[in-house]
Amino acid sequence: MPVVDVPQPTFMQKLKRFFMIDLLKGMGLTLKYNLGALTDKNSVEGFGIYTEQYPKVRADVAPRFHGAPRLNMDPETHDTLCIACNLCALACPEDCIDVLPMDIEIMVAGKPRKKKVLDEFIFDTSRCMFCALCQEACPTSCLELTQDFELATYSRAGFVWNREMLEQGRETVKYEE
Amino acid sequence: MLALFAPPNIIDSLLLRFFEPGTVNYVVWPFIQIGAVVTAVAVWAMYATYAERKISAFMQARLGPMRVGPYGLLQPIADAIKLLTKEDLTPDKADPFIFKFAPYISVAAAFIVFAVIPFAPDWGVITDINIGLLFVLSVSSVGVLALILAGWSSNSKYALMGGLRSSAQMVSYEVAMGLSLVGALMFARTLSLSGIVSAQQSDSIWFILYQPMGFMVFLISGIAENNRAPFDLPEAESEIVAGFHTEYSGMRWSLFFMAEYAAMVVVAAMATSLYLGGWYLPGVYRLTEANGYHHLYVILSITVFVLKMGVLLYTYFWLRWTLPRYRYDQLMDLGWKWLIPATLVNIVLTALAIFLVQALDGWRGYKTIDSLSQGLNLTGIGKIIMIVAGWGGLFVTAGVLSMINWRSRDFNLKTQRRNIRLVDVPQGKPAVAAAAAPTTTQV
Repeated sequence: MPVVDVPQPTFMQKLKRFFMIDLLKGMGLTLKYNLGALTDKNSVEGFGIYTEQYPKVRADVAPRFHGAPRLNMDPETHDTLCIACNLCALACPEDCIDVLPMDIEIMVAGKPRKKKVLDEFIFDTSRCMFCALCQEACPTSCLELTQDFELATYSRAGFVWNREMLEQGRETVKYEE
Repeated sequence: MLALFAPPNIIDSLLLRFFEPGTVNYVVWPFIQIGAVVTAVAVWAMYATYAERKISAFMQARLGPMRVGPYGLLQPIADAIKLLTKEDLTPDKADPFIFKFAPYISVAAAFIVFAVIPFAPDWGVITDINIGLLFVLSVSSVGVLALILAGWSSNSKYALMGGLRSSAQMVSYEVAMGLSLVGALMFARTLSLSGIVSAQQSDSIWFILYQPMGFMVFLISGIAENNRAPFDLPEAESEIVAGFHTEYSGMRWSLFFMAEYAAMVVVAAMATSLYLGGWYLPGVYRLTEANGYHHLYVILSITVFVLKMGVLLYTYFWLRWTLPRYRYDQLMDLGWKWLIPATLVNIVLTALAIFLVQALDGWRGYKTIDSLSQGLNLTGIGKIIMIVAGWGGLFVTAGVLSMINWRSRDFNLKTQRRNIRLVDVPQGKPAVAAAAAPTTTQV
């Protein structure tokens, strides 16, 4: 009482099976990839190597990718562009930005005036979801999410970036030849 | 370095200053040859891991090891250092003596065989004994003992299962391997491996042309003998962790690997010398030996032999990274229902073809057999008859095998199981266990 009706193979199918045609086809494919890895440079349409050597060759991220934050500085005076307006902290849906301003005395037209300037800037990357709403809110293009994606640290506290890290960039170990 | 390429008679005169002539011939030279072969095989076993990783990477559009040295060429050395410094663990409940001894058997069995492999004529072979082929077959199957001992003494279920699998696999594939050689031996008329190669040389042909079926079966059963994919059931990592060497670590583990790669070389060397003409390549003899360059001839012969072996070893890697593993019943099926009948058919067909050639010899002035001095030397007509018989025999074998196996339903165990379960069950009703009925009536 056969439950599944398996059709008897035809003569051609039997010959194909005996001479292992399908096996040879598969072996042809792997050979193509093997030779392609040595000769072919085209990995998308051809048979070239698809992987990238990450620490040596950095991956190309998409143009709209948002990564590590940075506080931009005036390229001429090297003063910070931040005016401590707190708009980024207000825009942040995760509440991960703390702007700590301080007042300094400056002389404007001979009279002493107080001015609010940036003292410390805390950016918690462990809570950041990289929506870049802070970047949108910044009136002076100071806060910017860069394309850098290496954010891993050894401790939880390392995720909290202070002003110095945000301005200078965090130190990462670069692969050398 | 210079001494490596210098003709041996210079080294000979150097050695004769220190030793007796008899000692040089029978002790010193064999030791030099053994040292060279063992070193070469050990280096191969190291770099086979590199080759395997590279080839597998290329076949999967990856790069493979790239960091240690240029193109990762120093990776095997880093691996060796790692393995040597690892802790050598013995499980608590294992049989300590056998557990520690099994890797040595494995390596010894794999390396002893190189004594009779004919890498080249003259000084290219360590010893040429007249039962070389039997020696290779018998010693290489001792390696299986190591696997069984390792699997048993580990006192681990996975290791034991690996050992059992390897023993069953060996039993079924040893037969096909031995029988597939008979066809080639009918042409060579000797069991000495050098004799087989020189039979092909004097006939100026490779036996693969006469014996395509034998070559195919030998290669398949050789791969099964070496526990390589697609027949790597004894160490199937996706089913039984690592099979027989699950409990091994460090250098003992790597000894098993060395043995595996050395055994691969043995099977490749056997296939080369039996079917691919060994060190014989048309033109090499005429260019060198005939002009008096004897040592150049030997060195070129070694190169030819190693190149042919390299093609076969690449095939090993190629197959491993192309084909999925056989299921256990499929493995037995292939061995007993396909390979062994194929070899038997091959023996009969070869014998008939040789009989035909002998009968045609001298009939109406045809001359098919040249001489019987070095194997079966055929003339042009005889060769054509043999080649046609050999390749036509493939179709005959296919027919016979499909006739034998016409009832075997393409490994379809599912139908068989359903048939067993549904005996005496009315159609459309669910099957009820038979034992359940009487117990309910008693209560």
